[in-house]
Amino acid sequence: MTVGNRTRAALLLLCAAVLACASAAWAKSRHPLRIGLGEEPRTLNVWMASDANSNNILSQIYQPLYRHTPEETEMVPWLAAGPPEMEADGVTYQVRLRPARWSDGSAFTAADVAFTCRLIKEFKIPRHYSRWKFVDRIEAVDDRTVRFVLKEPMAIFLTRSLTIPIVSEKEWREVADAAKKQKKPLATLFNHTVERPLGTGPFVLEKWHKGAFLHMKKNDWFFGQGLRIGGRLLGPFVGEILFKIYGTSDVAMLALKKGAIDMYWQGIQPGYIENLEQHPEIRIFSSERSALYYLGFNLRRPPFDDPALRRAAAVLVDKSFIIERVLQGYGSRMDSILPAGNEFWYNPNLTEYGEGLNREQRIRAVHRILKEAGYRWTRPPVDDAGKVQPAAGLRLPDGSLMEPLTILTPPADYDPHRAISGLLIQQWLRQAGIPASARPMSFGALLQQVKARHDFDAFILGYGRLSLDPDYLRIFFHSEFDRERGWNMSGYHNPEFDQIAEASEKTMDLEARRLLIYKMQEIIARDVPYLPIYLPREIEAVRTDRFAGWVQMLEGIGNIWSFCQLSPVN
Amino acid sequence: MEIRRYILGRLFQITLIFFVILTVLFLLFRLAPGDPVSRMVDPNMTPEDAQRLIEQLGLDLPMWQQYLIYLKNFLKGRFGISFHYGQPVSEIILNRLPNTILLFTSSIVLAAFVGVFLGKIVSWKKGERIDTWVTIGALVCHTLFLPWLALIIIWVFAYWIGWFPLTGMISAEIWTDPSAGLLRKGLDIAHHMALPLTTLFLIHFGSYLLVMRSSMLDTLREDYILTARAKGLDEATIRNRHAAPNAALPVITSVGLSLAFSINGGALTETVFTWPGLGRELVFAVSNNDYPLAQASFLLIAAVVLTANLVVDLIYAYLDPRIRY
Amino acid sequence: MKTGNEQRDTLAAPAGRRDWLAGGWALFWENPIGKIGLILMACFALMAAASFVPPLLDPMYHPMHGVDPEISHATGPSAAHWLGTDFIGRDILSQLLAGARIAFMVGLSAAFMSIFFGTLIGMISGYAGRFVDTLLMRIADMVMVMPTLLVVLILSSLFGQLRIWTIVLLIALFRWPGVSRVIRAQTLTLKHRPFIEAARVTGASHLRIIFRHIFPNVLPLALLYMTFRVTSAIIIEAALAFLGFGDPGTVSWGMMLQWVWKTGHMFQAPYWLLPPGICISLLTLSFYMLGRAMEEVLDPRLRKEGESE
Repeated sequence: MTVGNRTRAALLLLCAAVLACASAAWAKSRHPLRIGLGEEPRTLNVWMASDANSNNILSQIYQPLYRHTPEETEMVPWLAAGPPEMEADGVTYQVRLRPARWSDGSAFTAADVAFTCRLIKEFKIPRHYSRWKFVDRIEAVDDRTVRFVLKEPMAIFLTRSLTIPIVSEKEWREVADAAKKQKKPLATLFNHTVERPLGTGPFVLEKWHKGAFLHMKKNDWFFGQGLRIGGRLLGPFVGEILFKIYGTSDVAMLALKKGAIDMYWQGIQPGYIENLEQHPEIRIFSSERSALYYLGFNLRRPPFDDPALRRAAAVLVDKSFIIERVLQGYGSRMDSILPAGNEFWYNPNLTEYGEGLNREQRIRAVHRILKEAGYRWTRPPVDDAGKVQPAAGLRLPDGSLMEPLTILTPPADYDPHRAISGLLIQQWLRQAGIPASARPMSFGALLQQVKARHDFDAFILGYGRLSLDPDYLRIFFHSEFDRERGWNMSGYHNPEFDQIAEASEKTMDLEARRLLIYKMQEIIARDVPYLPIYLPREIEAVRTDRFAGWVQMLEGIGNIWSFCQLSPVN
Repeated sequence: MEIRRYILGRLFQITLIFFVILTVLFLLFRLAPGDPVSRMVDPNMTPEDAQRLIEQLGLDLPMWQQYLIYLKNFLKGRFGISFHYGQPVSEIILNRLPNTILLFTSSIVLAAFVGVFLGKIVSWKKGERIDTWVTIGALVCHTLFLPWLALIIIWVFAYWIGWFPLTGMISAEIWTDPSAGLLRKGLDIAHHMALPLTTLFLIHFGSYLLVMRSSMLDTLREDYILTARAKGLDEATIRNRHAAPNAALPVITSVGLSLAFSINGGALTETVFTWPGLGRELVFAVSNNDYPLAQASFLLIAAVVLTANLVVDLIYAYLDPRIRY
Repeated sequence: MKTGNEQRDTLAAPAGRRDWLAGGWALFWENPIGKIGLILMACFALMAAASFVPPLLDPMYHPMHGVDPEISHATGPSAAHWLGTDFIGRDILSQLLAGARIAFMVGLSAAFMSIFFGTLIGMISGYAGRFVDTLLMRIADMVMVMPTLLVVLILSSLFGQLRIWTIVLLIALFRWPGVSRVIRAQTLTLKHRPFIEAARVTGASHLRIIFRHIFPNVLPLALLYMTFRVTSAIIIEAALAFLGFGDPGTVSWGMMLQWVWKTGHMFQAPYWLLPPGICISLLTLSFYMLGRAMEEVLDPRLRKEGESE
């Protein structure tokens, strides 16, 4: 018996040794580009995909008519052959298409474009429909020309509508027709399982091994191959891509250091940087983002229905402290709803609440603001001798005691930055006697409370990947959107703002529109329904020993330009 | 027959319990704030879009109607379509389940095997130094904080020494290589499984060892062992042939009874090792408000635990006719 | 399962309990496992008591809000911060001490509550018998098959972040069935003992019989179970916090691990990763050892199930 067990133990050890050797000996004859993903993509159904990981994969496959160059200054024709030609009536556009083929070799035609746009309109596909409902007709003039007729002139048509991904009529016609006969057409369309998406992009999906990896191969029919678009010679120069799934960034960073992946396609925490920089093969990219992280107030009920209190809160929030401590310096303060990097639309002359003041000065300033607005304390933050002291018993101008209020934040595992910022802001507000407490809650529940039920005092949320077109200013603050599930979560109502916002949507002249957008930013900065706090940078890490040619643009290096230009080192 | 009535009674109770769990689960997920639609933070998503999606997902119906649909579909074996993946839940579960079974059963079997073996040895040396140290070792292993242990193991063996892959179940490089045969793929899985298996093994074997040890000590007091001794059989025979088989029974029941606890550990291990199993999927589905998937996976787990309990009960009832409700 | 083991009369005899206690203590102290467990636990109790000190020395040592004015990133051990600082400059040692306090609080209160429910339900079930017994035990069966961590995880994710006391209560609510089964079995054997029969004959009320006569006799067993419940409560809270579902307003060891993990310091700040993990493991170990030693004193055969927690 004992001998038998010893043999068994020896066998086990031997197995382990064989395994270890085998892993070391696996020669890598191929050279795929290996990319780490944070989570498994949800789906390959392009209409259903709303998460970053699915979009990462699908963006290699389905292509739009126009896209931004890495410099972000202009839109370049992508599947289109040239800029859209507007006819004299101001509502009819004609777009010529490039000669392109789907990844199965069949021709890409105007019929595909028309089919895609009609599909969006017919099924009212969420996230896309709002940008297409003002388009009246879509016609395929010939194989390579599409004509769009709008109901009225729209400034956002080129930048927002013509950037949707085009799908093939062949792939979707039957699915759509079958779905239309169902009781729930949209759900049927969404739940259609796509095994092998048919696209026009630089890569095609070879295999998706659920729970483990995705395998993509170069698309030999890619229309851009060898072309020069936006001043860049397009490849792809990489034969294969392997997407591997890592549940946590920690492990992904180890994989990167070990050389198991060449890039991790997800922003990483600043905490990793110092350690990664010690590896000569690893390079860190820190890119601008188009995002907004803010403290939102509920204007529908006291106490934050009073702009004076909101301004006081704005002075108390030390944005620089949050950026330096919580973001470890990888971010910049925001004073407008638009990021400063959006140079054309960004209004640089806005009130910078509390800028340059230290803690004590801020408390004094807030004491002044609130006293003027009629607030009283049993124990004011600044005593008669002018000394700062812990405040208590804050009373509203109507004489009632301020009720304890909560600041809702996402949980720390979702975003530690926002959760910790919430705690800091809680402490700062308390210094002026505002009885705030931060309460992290699960993301779904938080949105439900803020967006659907409107039952909250304040919250910290963020938007990532905001479009360059500032139309979202209107969507965030126009009173039309103050309803259940609307994006005006603060419940901001201002007829003056509404009027300007409506005009901005339709003004075709860029300079005139810019003035309107400036004015809108000014009003928001004055009334503070949202207090913009910080704009974090996108930090990404790659290995440089196997591939080179990452293209850095807004939102980082994970973009189609990179994948069209990357090439193996040596 | 008495025993048949008892089994039927237990089966009936278990079915009842299962339906209570089913209903409670349904209510929980419906009453909770947060739905899959409100998670979509995209300014392009208009309120009309959201409303349309909610209708399409059937979330606008009155609760009792949703419940009836849920029950009807459940009895038909349809678990609905995952909100998150847009795929039938049964497909996702069938895809993940084998991975969980592979990791889970192999770790439990290995832990029970080693636990019984070591428990047998130390019980024979009760009071000696080896007994104390092995018992303390088992206690330490058993109380280690699992996710933390898993991370340390990853750090040491997968990164620092580098013998094993970091996480996951298969390596993309091998599985996309057309020349890789079944053996190489099998070895690849074994290679990936080594660390999570070790983690679960360490956590479990201690408790089985302790059960085996005390059960052995009890058995050694029994008459037939004394008889065997009196017959002059040698110690090893008494230990291995007479005492151990009887003493091992409580270990088996303990495996069954601690299943719910082991499943917690399984879910944590899968999460840390990114093992594409059901436990990880459940944790993930819960945080994504993916009701159909979370419900179905939880029900499956409850069904497994209930069945295991039933089996343990039956073993007891079979062995000890005095026990009845 | 559910037992039916004969009892030893030592427990039932009210006379000589003091001797029994003294003898028990001697037995307990003789056992190295019990000794180690007790010493370990005393260390952690000291830590918990010491947790009040650092914030008094300097506000920057406040475990939650205090940040070192000079330091704004994770640093290793230094003179001012013996275990280093976390990513925004908070002192890790004072967090660790505060964590000990939370762990004791969570462990003891959750265990106490679950033992309270378990003992009460077990006694009622065993004493009342028949329908009440069946009903309560079926409920126990149902609760028992729920993997506690996953259930609390689901609840916490569904209803937003839970407060620490809610978590404690939830743990207690899902951890009573094991205890109540054992207590029920014990009650069943006590029920027909002469001294209970005698009490009934003299006209004592049911309530009086349960609390005066049965309760003292099941108490040692309940206390034994409590030590094991402390272990599982601490582990569940820590795992919950680690996965990001804990109470973000408290500094627990699980929370600390979550911060290490989510801010990307897991594999580069051992001074931050190791202490909380070691503490969780050792504290649960100490309670577990305590339980084991107590069990050997009481009777190994009292406990046939729940070995794994």
